[in-house]
Amino acid sequence: MSLRIYAIAYLIFLYAPIVLLPIFAFNDATIIAFPLSGFTTEWFDALMTNTSLHTAVKNSLFIAVMTAILSTLLGICAARAGAMYRFPVKAGIMGFIMLPLVLPEIIVAVSLLVVVVQIFDLGLSNWTIIAAHVLICTPFCIAILNGAFQNLDPSMEEAAMDLGESRFSAFRLVTLPLVMPGIISSMLIAFTISLDEFIIAFFLSGTSPTMPVYIWGLMRFPASLPIVMALGTILVALSIILLTIAELLRRRGMARAGVKDKGGFL
Amino acid sequence: MTALITLKGVNKYYGDYHALRDIDLTINAGEFFSLLGPSGCGKTTLLRVIAGLEDVSGGVVMIGGKDMAGVSANLRPTNMVFQSYAIFPHLSVAENVAFGLRKRSDLSKDDKSKMVEEALSMVGLSGYGKRASHALSGGQRQRVALARALILKPKVLLLDEPLSALDKKMREQMQVELIRLQRHVGITFILVTHDQEEALVMSDRIAVMFEGEIGQLADPETLYRRPNSRRVAEFIGKMNFLAAEVHDIGDQINVEVAGLGRVSVNAEQAPMALHKGAAVAGVRPETLAILFEGETTDRKLVDGVVDEVVYYGDMTYYDVRVAGIDQPLNIAMKNLIGRPVLDVGTQTKVVWDERSLVLLA
Repeated sequence: MSLRIYAIAYLIFLYAPIVLLPIFAFNDATIIAFPLSGFTTEWFDALMTNTSLHTAVKNSLFIAVMTAILSTLLGICAARAGAMYRFPVKAGIMGFIMLPLVLPEIIVAVSLLVVVVQIFDLGLSNWTIIAAHVLICTPFCIAILNGAFQNLDPSMEEAAMDLGESRFSAFRLVTLPLVMPGIISSMLIAFTISLDEFIIAFFLSGTSPTMPVYIWGLMRFPASLPIVMALGTILVALSIILLTIAELLRRRGMARAGVKDKGGFL
Repeated sequence: MTALITLKGVNKYYGDYHALRDIDLTINAGEFFSLLGPSGCGKTTLLRVIAGLEDVSGGVVMIGGKDMAGVSANLRPTNMVFQSYAIFPHLSVAENVAFGLRKRSDLSKDDKSKMVEEALSMVGLSGYGKRASHALSGGQRQRVALARALILKPKVLLLDEPLSALDKKMREQMQVELIRLQRHVGITFILVTHDQEEALVMSDRIAVMFEGEIGQLADPETLYRRPNSRRVAEFIGKMNFLAAEVHDIGDQINVEVAGLGRVSVNAEQAPMALHKGAAVAGVRPETLAILFEGETTDRKLVDGVVDEVVYYGDMTYYDVRVAGIDQPLNIAMKNLIGRPVLDVGTQTKVVWDERSLVLLA
């Protein structure tokens, strides 16, 4: 009984702040405080007309899509190698690839800034952010794809080759359809991580900020706080939808491969 | 008989590990051939070398007179049934079976579906084509794997422990079905197994492998009756080993066997080269007998004491202590009408015959 109360309290503590977002996003007042003063969609209208916000969202979407594609590609290579082949110091290599998962982002951000600007003398752009996001997203992609590849029987591809297909078409005809749900959920996770990543984007963005960086900029003006709330509401809704799709796809993949669900990433 | 597969001096290394050591082997067309051995003996590696799924580190693999060097698995006239069956779970039964026909643009869609239906009926799965493949039972998956491999009419069908995942009843049924199928299609089957009984039941010839080498290559009866080494004798069935002393070697071999005395045996009963002096005499449990009360024999007898009794229903296995032999003799007796199951400690007589001895160095 006490455990149940604890669990409920824990969930409230975890999610109550997020519930405040939509409440104040529709509240007709610039000050974030109770009691609520009325319903409005004014803040959402403001979002629609703000062109610099639109640019920021476009930047973020571009970065997130590219990050999702690149880190998933890298993840496929790593997960496939990890699941199908034996090679020297495999455990060490796999551990090393997963390291960015626990590296503080601020360290990654600062060191990348030094590398890009000082060592390579390149300008900052969306691409520098993409490179950094790929670095931090790849471990997540590998974690998800590992599950998909490890459930795969290595003799599956061999069987396809034995039946006349080349190595590549065996991969395309057999492995790819079986891991596709994993690939999609990996892309969605990478997309989500990249979309709301702030620290690295803050350090590495050029003249045109990403959405989180733009939001952070807005925070300096109290009057625009409800707009941030409105934007946050949209983001939360999108994140929940995307992660739900990712999990559903992962489960469908497990069912398709005919294996027991051993609890996934989410 | 024509040679279909010829291996010459085949070696395979995994790093420092020597998985196959100078394998020379000829497999004939239409033969049911088994590679038998304990796990890690290289039998699966050898099968994969023939399939083209592993490269050789040295030596030649010829199939149908053609050197297979540089010919990848998809271009070899072999097809394989994998231990896990490797049924593609995202495809239906029919799509699985038809997989090998993808590259055959000369066949119409109707031809293909007819071939699929024929292949399925050959393995007893008529009408299963539309089923989802992950919903099949173990035995059904095995049949789908067989149909999928046979639809291409390969010269050689390779079977990697195909029955090991099935329960005992199913396994025995599939053994019979595989033999029948092999006779029906006339394709060379190469079976990898660690189950000696399975190999004896199914094969025309068996190669027993140990540590990357072929220990003995023979038909099942020769292998069982005349194993050419102690490790083959130990691996195939049960055998009692008795210390022996060879006195004279000629057409007849004069030998002193511990507990049984001095006998003269046929030279054929020594499949490996012998020298005068210490040797080992092997004798199978079923070639010995216990003389029950009321039974008579004109064969030789030796006194013993029952040391252990294991009752199997149709058979009883006795361990009988005989003076002069270190280990009790293991004796298999059919439980015929009127034969009691003896108690431990019973004084008894053991019937033996020197014709059932095998002499090993």
